[in-house]
Amino acid sequence: MDSSEVEFLAEKETVKIIPNFSLDRIYLIGGDLGPFNPGLPVDVPVWLALNLKQRQKCRIVPPAWMDVEKLEEMRELERKEDTFTPVPSPYYMELTKLLLNYASDNIPKADEIRTLVKDIWDTRIAKLRLSADSFISQLEAHAKLDNLTLMEINTIRAFLLDSLNCMYKLRSNLQPGSSKGQFTDY
Amino acid sequence: MFCEKAIELIRELHRMSDGQLPAFNEDVLRQVLQEMEALYEQNQTDVNEAKAGRAELIPSIKLRHCCLLRNQRCLTAYLYDRLLRIRALRWEYGSVLPANVRFHMCAEEVQWISQYKKSLASFMRSLGGGEGLDITQDMKPPKSLYIEVRCLKDHGEFEIDDGTVILLKKNSQHFLPRWKCEQLIRQGVLEHVMS
Amino acid sequence: MDTQSYLPVQPGVGMGENFLSLDDIVLSHERLPIRTECRFPRLGFLEKSSDSQDIPEGTKMELPLWLSKGLYEKKRRVLSVELPKVYREGWRTVFNADPNVVDLHKMGPYYYGLGSQMLHFDSPENPEIAQTLLQTFIGRFRRNMDSSQNAYNEDTSALVERLDCLEKALFTSGQSGLNSFQSWEKGQASQLTASSLVLNYRKRKITDLQP
Repeated sequence: MDSSEVEFLAEKETVKIIPNFSLDRIYLIGGDLGPFNPGLPVDVPVWLALNLKQRQKCRIVPPAWMDVEKLEEMRELERKEDTFTPVPSPYYMELTKLLLNYASDNIPKADEIRTLVKDIWDTRIAKLRLSADSFISQLEAHAKLDNLTLMEINTIRAFLLDSLNCMYKLRSNLQPGSSKGQFTDY
Repeated sequence: MFCEKAIELIRELHRMSDGQLPAFNEDVLRQVLQEMEALYEQNQTDVNEAKAGRAELIPSIKLRHCCLLRNQRCLTAYLYDRLLRIRALRWEYGSVLPANVRFHMCAEEVQWISQYKKSLASFMRSLGGGEGLDITQDMKPPKSLYIEVRCLKDHGEFEIDDGTVILLKKNSQHFLPRWKCEQLIRQGVLEHVMS
Repeated sequence: MDTQSYLPVQPGVGMGENFLSLDDIVLSHERLPIRTECRFPRLGFLEKSSDSQDIPEGTKMELPLWLSKGLYEKKRRVLSVELPKVYREGWRTVFNADPNVVDLHKMGPYYYGLGSQMLHFDSPENPEIAQTLLQTFIGRFRRNMDSSQNAYNEDTSALVERLDCLEKALFTSGQSGLNSFQSWEKGQASQLTASSLVLNYRKRKITDLQP
């Protein structure tokens, strides 16, 4: 999967905006949107929020978790725990990047948030590698991916799947006769 | 040793792991087929003698037989891998392949790609309730309908949806419908400018 | 990241080969030291050192893996295959002591692939060979993963030069994950780019012209 596809999925998440225009409810395949009234908060998908923001039609209200204190807590917890802690949004990384890039003026302490989220990400990726290594070295057959997000899995997917294929090949060597067919390869 | 020519064909493709299509190596291909013919004939002779009682010939017959199968495997893999590459060209270059690429195909391959193009086109026409859908477009999720592009070389006149004709001149910059540009960007004529 | 539309046939995953895989075909061309256990009449010309008409019994020569596999039979001895040095006990001890110090490119470059194929030939050492192959892979895994996931935007040739072919392929897939994420982070993921195949064609055309 390409990262841009993961981001595309993240754009379907909803975010609160405060529009500065009025428009009746609109009916789309993906669901109804609006109505939009100046100054009244309304939930819209991220792709629309960003589009409106770029045209200066709205102000984006950052999600509740996008807050320095809350993120600091999460970072500490993530560092303390050996396992993956639950994340505030399955698209926390993508949403942080999208909202900070297009609407940093609507998000207090944007730079600190960016650093915090990056710290959380780095801690989690380090854990991911550690667990991938112990998964391989202890010859495990299955692993739980609880609390991992799509973007995190996506960065290591190709590598991990290929490694598991190699492992399968080398482990099936240990059971002679199991897959030894006739010599049909020339 | 036998089958050295056949591995030459395989190595030729193996070296170009990015999917480029080298010229069809008819020469070596024919040499492999000749070797196979010789192996087969020698084996026919030996088999007849073995049947008449000369069982000690069997190991040699088996060796030649292995070589025949090996040659067959190499040739099949060579031809098949080339088809994979040729199919990929349709997706990378669009429906018109540049002459220097077409040049590297044999007659059967040219015929194959034109059949492939036809079946891809009729499949795409049948999509979306008869409306048709170009599935070679939008390989990445689009962010907007129009994009900013810069010309990397002179490409001549170019007509967009509304009938306007624009001149794609080297270093000129345009704001164009994304679906119109995607192919040209892939071909390296235009460059997608990010804001 | 550029989406590549040419996807070659992957090598076989189990002990068997994939018939159409170029990787497997090249691997099975590796030469093995063998000893003939019977006479091969009328094939003397394959063995350059002798000028007799036949290959006599007891000749030591090298044959490609595919042919050794094709001729090998458990019941009727046609040939016996000698274990290449890297899979013998001496080297196995080295590999088991510290798999990270060995240069698998020099020893291979198909260390795992050829090693797995050697198991087709009956040998009392087979269980140990299989065990060493697996442990070597596991022992080198962490370093391989870290280097493929950390080396961003740098020359990776030094990192891969001591890797076996299989590890090199792993390294490449690790790099593609890293590069794709990094380009997304820099906001380049949604940029449309020229096909790398097209660009390589152009590069080659230029070098073709140069005498």
